[in-house]
Amino acid sequence: MSEHNHEHHISTAGQLWAVGTALFILTIITVVFAKFVAIPPPFDVITAISIALVKAFLVAAFFMNLYWDVKFNAMLLIMAVAFFILMISITLLDTLYRNDVVPSF
Amino acid sequence: MANHSTSTPTHVHHHFVDGDQQFDTAKLGMWIFLVNEILFFGGLFCAYIVYRAWYPELFQMAALELNTFWGAVNTVVLIGSSLTVAMAIRSAQKDQMKGLKINLLITIALAVVFMVIKGFEYSHKFHLGIFPGEFYTYEGLEHPKAAIFFSIYYMLTGVHALHVLIGIGLIYWIYLRAKRGEFSSDYYTPVEITGLYWHLVDLIWIFLFPLLYLIE
Repeated sequence: MSEHNHEHHISTAGQLWAVGTALFILTIITVVFAKFVAIPPPFDVITAISIALVKAFLVAAFFMNLYWDVKFNAMLLIMAVAFFILMISITLLDTLYRNDVVPSF
Repeated sequence: MANHSTSTPTHVHHHFVDGDQQFDTAKLGMWIFLVNEILFFGGLFCAYIVYRAWYPELFQMAALELNTFWGAVNTVVLIGSSLTVAMAIRSAQKDQMKGLKINLLITIALAVVFMVIKGFEYSHKFHLGIFPGEFYTYEGLEHPKAAIFFSIYYMLTGVHALHVLIGIGLIYWIYLRAKRGEFSSDYYTPVEITGLYWHLVDLIWIFLFPLLYLIE
């Protein structure tokens, strides 16, 4: 692996601005959906999180350069998200199925 | 094995084969740190999810106390700062040292704007008596668990704001090193690594904004 001397990827200014503009537009869309469009729950939360995930993907792939980077770094991020979901799932398996919420909680 | 016959640049430590290996290693280390950060914030997000599942009506009521406009402005400010960090790294890669320094300074300015807006938001809430936990004295919310929403709010945004402050310090340090002429297209690892950290701070806020400010 150390044999080949790979060039670092350099994004053009246009590419970076395109990603930035997409993030700005998605922010506006999130606010418009949340404030001016009546989406019945739980789809309002699902919409907000979906847009946030698209934004997160853009930042991770093109600002943090994972798209052009060694795949191992992308795997680390995916594993972090996977373990985060595991942590939430196991916690919710407890908290969602209690007969009584602990009073002081 | 290591080939030291070609001239090794001064920034390459002796235990690395070459500059590229050192760069990739530093980046790997940073990503492992970012994994820690994600799971660290993950615990706080987990508290948010558990309490939102228990008291959905509280989250709808309490979110109205947060100012969507300033939350949205801060989102735009942080995305803008992520863009300037990306531009700073591009400048370093292209040996444009002036562009590097200017982009770092704009990033710091945007981060300061973020903190000032956050400061106004906090002081407005303190004025109303909206403090975390047992110090909560606000009476405008008719909910026995009202303080819990704001404890979670202060933990999430407070820890995030702490990251922004540390980020300002780091980027200023990178700026000083850029000013001393330490970076070039051959060596800009600290710029890249600090950029990764700053993008993560942006990433966390991308989720905090809809989850805290945009509950209808």
